Amino acid sequence: MLDVSVVASAAMGMAARPGTLAVFTGLHLSGTLAEPAGFTGIEIGLLVACVLASGGLFFWRFAPILRNIFRSKKDNDFTLHPLGRRVWDFFWEVLCQAKVIRQRPLPGIAHAFVFWGFLAFALVSLNHFANGMRLGFLAPDGSVGRFYFGFAAVWALLVAVSIAGLFVRRFFVRPIWLGTKVSYESGFIAFLIFTLMVTYLAAFFVEDGGAAVKSLWWTHTLALLMFLPLIPHTKHLHLVLSPLTVFLKRDGFSKIPPLSGDEDFGLVAGKDITQLISLQAYSCVECGRCTEHCPASITGKVLNPKEIILGMRSYLNELGPASEVALLAEARPETTFGTTMSMEAAFECTTCGSCEYQCPVGIQHVPILVGLRRGATNTGAWEDTYGTKLFLALEKNGNALGLSSSERDKFVTKTGLPIFDGTQEYCLWLGCMGGYDPKGREIIADFARVMDYLGTTFGVLKKEKCTGDPARRLGNDLVFQTMAEFGLKALETAKVQKIVAICPHCVRTISNDWREYGIAPEIEHHSEFMARHKDRLPKQQSDESIVYHDPCYLGRYRDVYEEPREIVALAGTLVEAPRSREKSFCCGAGGGLAFLGEETGERVSHVRAAELAGTGAQVVGTACPFCNTMFRDALSEMETKPQLLDIAQLTARAITTVGSGAL
Amino acid sequence: MKILVAVKQVPERDAQIHVAADGKWIDEDDLSYTINEPDAYALEEALQLKEKNGGEVVVVCAGPERVTSTLREALAKGADRAIHIEADDLGERDTLGVARMLAEAVKGESPDLILTGLQSDDLGLGQTGVVLAELLGIPHATIIMQVEKTDLGLRVKRELEDGWFQHVEMPFPALLTIQSGGNKLRYATLMGIKKAKTKETATFSASAAGAKAVSLEKVYLPEKQKRTEMLTGTPAEIAAKLVEKLKFDVRVL
Amino acid sequence: MSGVLVVLEQREGELNRMSLEAVAAGHLLAAKVGGECSAAMLSSGGGLKVGGVAKLYSVEHELLKDYTADGYCAVLEQLVKKLEPGYVLFPHTYQVRDFAPALATRFGQVLISDVVAMHDGDVGPVFVRQLLQGKLNADYRQTASGPCFVSVQAGSFRAEGEGSGAEAAVDVFVPELKPEQIRSKPGEPFRESAQTVDLSVAPVIVSVGRGIGEEGNIAMMQELADALGAELAASRPICDNGWLPMERQVGSSGQTVSPKLYLAVGISGAIQHLVGMKGSKAVIAINKDEHAPIFEVADFGVVGDLFEIVPELTKAVLAAKG
Repeated sequence: MLDVSVVASAAMGMAARPGTLAVFTGLHLSGTLAEPAGFTGIEIGLLVACVLASGGLFFWRFAPILRNIFRSKKDNDFTLHPLGRRVWDFFWEVLCQAKVIRQRPLPGIAHAFVFWGFLAFALVSLNHFANGMRLGFLAPDGSVGRFYFGFAAVWALLVAVSIAGLFVRRFFVRPIWLGTKVSYESGFIAFLIFTLMVTYLAAFFVEDGGAAVKSLWWTHTLALLMFLPLIPHTKHLHLVLSPLTVFLKRDGFSKIPPLSGDEDFGLVAGKDITQLISLQAYSCVECGRCTEHCPASITGKVLNPKEIILGMRSYLNELGPASEVALLAEARPETTFGTTMSMEAAFECTTCGSCEYQCPVGIQHVPILVGLRRGATNTGAWEDTYGTKLFLALEKNGNALGLSSSERDKFVTKTGLPIFDGTQEYCLWLGCMGGYDPKGREIIADFARVMDYLGTTFGVLKKEKCTGDPARRLGNDLVFQTMAEFGLKALETAKVQKIVAICPHCVRTISNDWREYGIAPEIEHHSEFMARHKDRLPKQQSDESIVYHDPCYLGRYRDVYEEPREIVALAGTLVEAPRSREKSFCCGAGGGLAFLGEETGERVSHVRAAELAGTGAQVVGTACPFCNTMFRDALSEMETKPQLLDIAQLTARAITTVGSGAL
Repeated sequence: MKILVAVKQVPERDAQIHVAADGKWIDEDDLSYTINEPDAYALEEALQLKEKNGGEVVVVCAGPERVTSTLREALAKGADRAIHIEADDLGERDTLGVARMLAEAVKGESPDLILTGLQSDDLGLGQTGVVLAELLGIPHATIIMQVEKTDLGLRVKRELEDGWFQHVEMPFPALLTIQSGGNKLRYATLMGIKKAKTKETATFSASAAGAKAVSLEKVYLPEKQKRTEMLTGTPAEIAAKLVEKLKFDVRVL
Repeated sequence: MSGVLVVLEQREGELNRMSLEAVAAGHLLAAKVGGECSAAMLSSGGGLKVGGVAKLYSVEHELLKDYTADGYCAVLEQLVKKLEPGYVLFPHTYQVRDFAPALATRFGQVLISDVVAMHDGDVGPVFVRQLLQGKLNADYRQTASGPCFVSVQAGSFRAEGEGSGAEAAVDVFVPELKPEQIRSKPGEPFRESAQTVDLSVAPVIVSVGRGIGEEGNIAMMQELADALGAELAASRPICDNGWLPMERQVGSSGQTVSPKLYLAVGISGAIQHLVGMKGSKAVIAINKDEHAPIFEVADFGVVGDLFEIVPELTKAVLAAKG
């Protein structure tokens, strides 16, 4: 603390009175940065040679990477629009280091100090080299120099402390997310940074013009010049690339880009890697936040999102972006690199988007994972009994459950749901779960009662097929297109203006993924609908505790966090799960996985259900029929289990208890 | 080995059925059509045989314009060529009439093997394949689960009743009707659909329908719709009622 | 002869039930169209008897020892040409499906297959068949002249009492048949080795769910399955708990089954389960919750305590089997 206050006071300009400080430190702190003088021609020559060598080495190693990025396929859907959002992300995520800090506060703030320190040092370093060529522009004893060098000194200290802390974390605490391999390069780079800072700070304690100051100067210089060529082949490449990656990342969360042309089937081989993917692969800083929050990784599956990105990077390094060799490891058994980028891993992803949300350098994992799936499914390379069954069911029956569509008709008739005829305000989209699953049907019936209670008119489509969500996420563009086109036409024919759905997957797919084939009417999730009418919904006199589970496709995908909570709050006391909102943990059903076979390792649904039940809440509140069905199964095996209700059911229950004239 | 697969396009299994005004057939206006399921298995078997032994798979389908979608799908799954027998009057032909039409179209191809599903999901007569073999004068076997090419011809696994099976050997050329479920079907892929665009679909004009040997006089909805019959009583009474059902309705006792 | 000729099917000298049902249909048809109802049976050595028909034509040839479509078509063609019956009836067995369509073709006829009922039409009898998996019925009528070939669906005509009665006079018919006429070579029938359970081919399945409460109750369910000659299966929670092996799980993450009978005990019928068993021909459900979705797909339902009903049912089944 003492040291900090010393340097801080220096920064405040108090260093103008050297004597004061000497009292505090007992050192010969001059208060101004000591600068070596009298660089000889030989020294200058040496410096220039070193700078050229360092810079040359840097570009020699960096050029192939740039080449790989530039030679990758163009992203056909890329636009700089919306620029405002990009500038904001750059400001918030890069300059403010918001993601870095928010996800891991302590190491995050340490990283931020290093980053801000580097920024502060840009001017210092520039002057440092200029000085060596007798071109120094910032006089240490001028008022500007005095201030700025002091200011940089504060940062130097923060950087030194932070980098030491990060060093201890990486080499002694060793969180598993950083990987099991010890990176000596990282250690060396940390040492170089530490050296840079110490040599800078030390220059405040030595006399101007002495031998000591010169050796400090040279140590500082050499450390910096050694650091530079190390950047391209280590995770420190993110220093150069990630600001760009964050700025350029594809617009929209987990957005799956459209295929381009007749030869594009997704990520099949190197030739399909786009520039954004290349850029992102090279930007990975290997922090492992993605893996730390990945439901598949946590439950002992093969998938490790960080290793997928690194697998992509090794592929690019080994084969380049024009290669015809398959990307997925299973299809290139003769190669030894990038084995982590496997089909098995790709199909374990629930597309929950946690990785993408967490990533501090702008990597978009989900489009890459789905891209790999597309490559496998669109070409028929993915042979999975359950997957095939699902696709055939979608082709033949038009629903993911493989039931006869007359089952939906029966349910509609039996429940007395009106058919949409153009006179009603809303089209109530049933979805596969709402139309075929017994529990999903209960949710629909209850939500219909809520709409009746509010006096909102609605109807259901006479014929409705799956939105194609599971096919989309499993990489079957053919089935997805068929489903999307059917749905768009059905809505258009029925002249639907507004849609409301109980399933976040339907909402996402209709509002976002269908855009490739046409514009669907405006759609909202029933939580949004109910929240808009919350003043007219009954407040229950209940102190029942309800833990709300954020569905991935409602939260991270749609940014809807408050609305369902408002509904839950009407029904009882809202309890938060340890992982909630943006950090919510998946139920395991997304990405089409609800329809695939048994998972390896622990079941994702069980882990989450245990977490929810562990809050001690009396009720688990859900807002997605898939989450609901996953938890129903998982909770059924518990001794004492909370009740499981959708937010529509929580509300409908109130309607029954409070009573109303509307029904 | 040249394999010809005869497929039929039928109304989707879960289609809502309405009897047409004339009472002779169902209202086709609102129907969606798909490949007859056992024919899908026949196609799958053909594709697998080709993958194992090489050769060509030609898929043939008779019917109006709409059946070309089924042919395209078959091409997308891996068939090499398609033949569309243009016939808008399938309803005017009985099994023999349909088989004659197929025989005409197939003769010029002289395939080594003809595969088709064991029956159709709509009419369910289960005869077209056998009659076609008879008309072409080639041996046949029905309800086939597995097909193997041998030095002399074919060795097939035929399903008998009650979990029994039998192997049958036969020479080429031959016709087999394929049972559902013997193989795993593949799903159509985007790549397949795109490749199918470049494959050839030949058209063949059927000769006029002749006199029928049997005719479908009328269709109507069966009186008894499936509904759950609840059995009540004491446990012993319920058990007795259940046994009664097991004997006479379910027929497993 | 006009009248009706019923082609019987035997295995090792024993008539199957469906043949007797065909005889029942033959009698019914003979009553409508006039004439006698006779029967024919193909074998290598004769010596078979049947009662209750006007005459039994025993078609005997050593090449008929094993069934072949070529052999059966050839000899039946000769027999039908000789007898000139108005109607030739078959049980709609897998064997008949293999040769009867070809036989009809030789007469320029079309087999009216899988008939479930007959009634009188304006011109001769009308045969009822089911279309579109039973969603629709259709009336068929022969329009050509010559013998009319018909096969009848299992269980459509009551066989009780058929085949007994006075033994029919046997008329031996020795057809002409040469080995080269038979183009295919049949092997011995066999059953798949039952090493692992393959629920997908099991004709009867007793499936248990969470309603059975605890592992100890598996034994009670096994007894019922044994009595019915059924395979024991389960919904996912049972297998998850390890009460039954995973291979016995029916549902979206287990096996897909289509037995003649699916007896669901204590299974509520979650969608993941239903998709695995919706192909069952008949479903009986026993569950204490009358709103359980399993009743939506059941043909017969029992709402009650399975621990009371199952033992009674086991007893009754054993008694019925004698």
